Amino acid sequence: MIRKRVLSPEERIPDIPETIFLFRSCTGSMEYPGTENSIKEICKILGVQVVMDPDQTCCSGYLLTCSAYKPEFSLAVTARNLSLAESRKLDVYAFCNGCYGYICELSHIMLHNPDYKKMIDGVIDQLGYKYEGKTRIFHMQELYYRLKDKIVENVKRPLDGLRVGVHYGCHYLARQYGILDEGGYPTFIEEIIEAIGGTPIFYKERQACCGGAVGRGFTHKENVVHAHLYKKFMSAKKENIECIVTVCPGCNTSLDREQPAIMERSGEAINIPIIDIGQMIALTLDVDVQKLGFEANSVSLDSVLNKLGIH
Amino acid sequence: MIETYAIRRPEAQESPIARQIREDLGIDVARCLECGKCTGGCSYAAGFDYTPRKIIQLVKLGEFDKLLSLDALWTCLSCQLCVDRCPSGINIPRIMDYLRARAHRANSNITHKNIEKFYEIMLSDIKNRGRISETIMMIKYNLAIKNLFANASFGKKLFLKGKLKFFSPRTHNIKTIQPLFRRLSEKDGQA
Amino acid sequence: MSKADTAALIIGGGIAGLETALKLGQGGYTVILAEKESALGGNVAKLHSSFPRWEDPQELIKVKQAELKTLPSVRVLANTEITGLQRQSGGFTAHWTDRATQKSGSLPVQALIFATGFELFNASVYGEYGYGIYKNVVNSLEFEHLLGMYEQRAIHVPESIAFFKCVGSRDRSKGFPYCSKICCMYTAKQAGLVKKISPDTQCYVFYMDYRASGKEYEEFVRQVIEERKVRYVRGRPSKVVLENDKLLVRFEDTLIGVPMEASVDLIVLASAVVPRPETLALARMLGLKTDDYGFVEPVYGSPVRIEERIFMAGGCGFAIESLGAIAQGAAAAAEVTALFNKSE
Repeated sequence: MIRKRVLSPEERIPDIPETIFLFRSCTGSMEYPGTENSIKEICKILGVQVVMDPDQTCCSGYLLTCSAYKPEFSLAVTARNLSLAESRKLDVYAFCNGCYGYICELSHIMLHNPDYKKMIDGVIDQLGYKYEGKTRIFHMQELYYRLKDKIVENVKRPLDGLRVGVHYGCHYLARQYGILDEGGYPTFIEEIIEAIGGTPIFYKERQACCGGAVGRGFTHKENVVHAHLYKKFMSAKKENIECIVTVCPGCNTSLDREQPAIMERSGEAINIPIIDIGQMIALTLDVDVQKLGFEANSVSLDSVLNKLGIH
Repeated sequence: MIETYAIRRPEAQESPIARQIREDLGIDVARCLECGKCTGGCSYAAGFDYTPRKIIQLVKLGEFDKLLSLDALWTCLSCQLCVDRCPSGINIPRIMDYLRARAHRANSNITHKNIEKFYEIMLSDIKNRGRISETIMMIKYNLAIKNLFANASFGKKLFLKGKLKFFSPRTHNIKTIQPLFRRLSEKDGQA
Repeated sequence: MSKADTAALIIGGGIAGLETALKLGQGGYTVILAEKESALGGNVAKLHSSFPRWEDPQELIKVKQAELKTLPSVRVLANTEITGLQRQSGGFTAHWTDRATQKSGSLPVQALIFATGFELFNASVYGEYGYGIYKNVVNSLEFEHLLGMYEQRAIHVPESIAFFKCVGSRDRSKGFPYCSKICCMYTAKQAGLVKKISPDTQCYVFYMDYRASGKEYEEFVRQVIEERKVRYVRGRPSKVVLENDKLLVRFEDTLIGVPMEASVDLIVLASAVVPRPETLALARMLGLKTDDYGFVEPVYGSPVRIEERIFMAGGCGFAIESLGAIAQGAAAAAEVTALFNKSE
């Protein structure tokens, strides 16, 4: 039967959780500690408690791709990670598209293949973990969208018409079923941006991939990633976009860290600050900018902060 | 002497690699309509030697050696737009993962050895630390590809500016991760 | 029983229902033709030109309608929706509602003809094509309206138009696995007509196959390609983005295997033919068999008989071209004639 592709925020998250299990992202906490921090700050304001576990490992997406298609490793790692949330009876909220996509897919594989499930159970049982598939998996952006009205109530520093381009990244929308928007033309982040006072700008290459992929950002910088991103930035530049909001630390890394090199190679001044959606919301909620770790960004955010009257 | 050319003869039935993909991944390439929507949607098809549609066609035709030596296997960005667009729901990224794995194991004529190195380093990082530390990875990667200065000026700048941490927060209870890999490796017979 | 004691109810006054009413009326049978809209003619009345001979379908409807008016035993109920159907011995009770006056009532009939037609799949499911988002992306029926205005020179013909075939058809992931059968031909007609009105307009047709299985169909498509110079591109478009007020189409030319782009002013989506929900609702009232998608199904061996005293004609059974719908309408009339003569 045809499954429902696009869900309303109420269908996706029927009850607003009191406590969430925040699934940490390697890239997020490593490259942009502010992303993780901003979630904690936003949740504090919105009255949602955040639980994290230092025992949690990499989401295993890297593992899946790098181990040259041996799903067994990744399945076991995913089961172990999810069991950490399940033992607390919490739902998992990932803030990285990669983590979200991979744990969804891997848990789906496990729960629909009894042979895999049995094998993985055998492995993690002996280490003292148990995974039954009860915990549900969400992306943080879904919670923001669900709590949009509550966020708006708490906005103290609206974006003042800031021209914001959105970068959705690929792996949330690639889930295709049971997500918040149509993968071919999503608009829900633009709605959030509009709600907090920004002017969402639809630029031509809005949905072009960040080029980061699994390691392609390391290994194919010059020949693949730069050429690809140059196109994207030029189309954003053409619309006079003042900053790009991402929903995935991986995309954030590609768009931000590669920008100086692309500017150098192309001789064009791009200088578009890249901000995680969590950091953006936190800014409007008047969270202390020191807590948002913007010093980690390669492209300075001063233009945005000045416009908002911070500093 | 004149070297003559051979005209390819396609498989008239399901090719061995198509069957393996169907059995191992549950993906049946016979569903492909050859419409090219995957390629039109692909983030990087313009830079591929073979476009996603052609890769599926190679699978159908059973051109196994050609598949393993494709450049596109290693420049694919894994963005999943192809499967999003595919009217038959063929999971092309999963097939690409699978072919990369086969290429790695077969030690075939891989055009991008550096990616293999990168993967090995990343894997060892997860196995040893639970989470990934990009600084260490960068250094190891540069050592492995014997180019100390790739990424270096960039990395150093970031490090000095305090933008890169040297160590990512290591998984707390690493003792439960390492045996997990060991146990699975024993089952599988390879690390 | 005399002819006056038996009545046939035709649900839907499109080309198929019209034809059934005509043939039964000409035979002197009592016919009630219920049409939901204010005018007869259905989808065909919206079309401009036809395949394979560039004839005028609106003229055809006019001729048939005029003929219908001369038949005393045919009663046309415009604005009338059939809201309920019950089986009685030797026939049915049909409940109707007048959509204009909100009056309702019921009538006894001895035969039923489903001629409820088809509608087009809602192409907004494909966010990548931007239907319902960009104003210059229309479906093929909406484009027929534009074609009429181009013909009358009421608006300018755009400089370039892209036609996408198989939007919702032949797509197991977001649409339907079946082929909608008529899109290849009407798309050729639409593109060919545009080129006739405005030879400088660039027309792209994106196709997977062109299916031209009918008398003179292949010649028709070749004429459009060869003489009217419509560019056929083999590949399914993947994405439409805005660029300088134009629509940029991304696709692969699968014959040379290269990703390409085309910049156009208007995009016409040949959306899949789907059954109307009303058809399914009516079929359920009588417990009729429908296929997986909601099209009614005739029994094996008859082109139009669904069950005893129940027949179908036209697009409620599956996608069909107007000439085919006329043939089914006539076949349904023959079946009803046979039935009424047997009962007599």
